[in-house]
Amino acid sequence: MSEKLSEMVKLMAHTSRGDLASFEKLYSATSPRLYGLCLRMLGNRHEAQEVLQEIYIKVWHHAGEYHPERGSPVTWMISIGRYACMDVLRQRRVHQDVDDFRDSLRGGGMEPQQAALASADKENLDRCLRELSDPHRASIQMAYFHGLTHGQMARTLGKPLGTVKSWVRRGLDFLRRCLER
Amino acid sequence: MKPDHYQRNHALAAEYVLGTLHGGARRRFETWMLESPRVRRQVWYWERRFQSLNRGIVERRPPAAVWRRVHARIARPRSVARAWWWPVGSVLAASLVLALILLWPSAPAPQQFVGVIQNSQAQPLWVLRTVTDDSHRQLSLQGVNVEPVDGKDFELWLLPRSGAAISVGLLPAGGGQRTASLSERQLEVLRRSRALAVSLEPAGGSPSGQPTGPVLYQVRMIAM
Repeated sequence: MSEKLSEMVKLMAHTSRGDLASFEKLYSATSPRLYGLCLRMLGNRHEAQEVLQEIYIKVWHHAGEYHPERGSPVTWMISIGRYACMDVLRQRRVHQDVDDFRDSLRGGGMEPQQAALASADKENLDRCLRELSDPHRASIQMAYFHGLTHGQMARTLGKPLGTVKSWVRRGLDFLRRCLER
Repeated sequence: MKPDHYQRNHALAAEYVLGTLHGGARRRFETWMLESPRVRRQVWYWERRFQSLNRGIVERRPPAAVWRRVHARIARPRSVARAWWWPVGSVLAASLVLALILLWPSAPAPQQFVGVIQNSQAQPLWVLRTVTDDSHRQLSLQGVNVEPVDGKDFELWLLPRSGAAISVGLLPAGGGQRTASLSERQLEVLRRSRALAVSLEPAGGSPSGQPTGPVLYQVRMIAM
């Protein structure tokens, strides 16, 4: 276990026992990443800060639920963050127009994804993603990075719903098989 | 659409993590996660696998006000707890309950467990506490102003590290309190996994012996 990971696990363990000083260190070390995640998924500072606050309240109260099978502490916290952002996106979508998604995809939204792929040559997931066809990869990335539903992806891409569902399903099936190779 | 084999579970777990599993299907899947440690592990598998995508996140330091708000929400109960009083006979103040549990000064026995089941706003709903000695194996279930749901009951489940969920019984609504007797096996499961969950069931509890309604809350008990 790397020194940084070991330190994070220690901070998480102390946080689970109610050590506020350790929790503050954990917040300081991880909040820029979590805030960046919220900004990327939600696209506005106000909601991102609200969700960030809720993420850390949850981390404080549920730190004892963390265990290594959830990945690193940061992986676990990012999962909490993604599910929280997805909840906000689902509530917001009732009032949001599909064009907003098209705009967000056209403007800067794809850059982090490309950056992730460019900097991750050694990772199996990235290798497998590169082996995916463009539509399969794009649908998975749109869902993961922007929290789009099947229907929203279909409208955004101008494709039938069944086609998009199939892209996601087949893309994930390919990833699973590729990752197990 | 219940997952019944490895590949089907994997596909659903992947869509759950990706976020493309919605509505009723998502809620049903969360119930299956509760029932099956293997399904939970498949979800964790995808959470770990997708993690490498997040290296592209552009880090941004949040405004100091966010930490101040977090701190204000979690620090308040502790300052109250240090006053060290207990409002016996009244509805338990949510923050005080939490603080007393975290700061309880002298655990009577090494293998006692406590936990607080909270809603999404981190408000306590039930306080769980084991009451065990050589002759008693019990779990105290204290409601903290829980809103009842018409025609439904909240049911508490132990989540073993492997195998299906084990019912502990119904949770009291309102500010009620009840005590559930634990079998030796239930206590052992609790010692090992410390994980419990709450599902919403028909009045009287799950008719099948396994969770049938949505899984509303999860908690991990703390050893005292």
